[in-house]
Amino acid sequence: MVFLTAQLFVRSRGPDEFWRKRQIFKLAAHYIGRKRNCYSIAIKNVHRALLKTTRGRQLKKQDMRELWETRLNGATHEHNISLRILLEGLNRCNILLNRKSLANLAIWEPRTFKCLSDIACAKAKLGGIKRVANNSMPETVMIKGLVDELD
Amino acid sequence: MSLLRKGQQWGTFACVWHIFDATWQDPFKSAHLIKKYLMGLHKPIYHPLNQCGDHVIVINSKEIALRGDHWQKRVYFHHTGYHGGATWTLAWELHSKDPTMIIKKAIYSAMDGTLQRRFTMQRLHIFPDDNVPKEMLENVSNQIKQLRPVPNRLYEIPQEERDKIPRLIQYPSDYQLK
Repeated sequence: MVFLTAQLFVRSRGPDEFWRKRQIFKLAAHYIGRKRNCYSIAIKNVHRALLKTTRGRQLKKQDMRELWETRLNGATHEHNISLRILLEGLNRCNILLNRKSLANLAIWEPRTFKCLSDIACAKAKLGGIKRVANNSMPETVMIKGLVDELD
Repeated sequence: MSLLRKGQQWGTFACVWHIFDATWQDPFKSAHLIKKYLMGLHKPIYHPLNQCGDHVIVINSKEIALRGDHWQKRVYFHHTGYHGGATWTLAWELHSKDPTMIIKKAIYSAMDGTLQRRFTMQRLHIFPDDNVPKEMLENVSNQIKQLRPVPNRLYEIPQEERDKIPRLIQYPSDYQLK
């Protein structure tokens, strides 16, 4: 668009008022009462809702991560280690599973999860982590390949 | 669903009964331990909205031990809602009125104030001594480990064994013991 004068610039602002408002009303369609019928009230609530969805996208991820950690805490304490030891041990073994899949394994594949926690425990013990010093060495783990290379 | 899977389903969602002996235990520290079992935090299927908590029976709540001078200094506040209706009760007073109250309040306040809290508390059964109804005791399948071992008192050790304890020093014959 070409604006020759300032007057024309003011007149040609944005799309038609009806359509502009209709955009907002569409977003407010499921609200109750004047929130959906009166534009000035609707736009306030739509703005608030949009802000909340932005925040909610982050919150959802944080909440899920928190839930997985709580679940893993419960699952690991069954095998006498903590979540920190599990993650540290698996990382050192280069088993790159995230919290989501570990939590799913703990629920649906408890024996697989027990093996994983055994590996993590053995690796942590060989790595000299004090927290697991009193745990007995898991018998199911082949220790030979687990020892850290000197560096 | 096959019979095996059915059994797994039952096993996963089964409600376990635990027992906890509160003899000589700190109620505020053991509250955090018991809370886990009540809310189901020890299970990998935990979700704040699903009911996965277990039952916990606490016995010997009469024998709890408070740290330092907390019996004299810890105060429980209550307000009736009327003017001048505030009361402050010391821990030893509350304990002499109802020996289950201190541990109950400790567990209640250890949990977050959600809508589930009061229902979770219904799964807790506290007894001042070890007289647990038989039908409750039949359900129990796990004992929660105490946070610290119950210490032996010197007067509970029989005299013959007490004499066997090696002495580091011998008091002079004219030394006045209090």
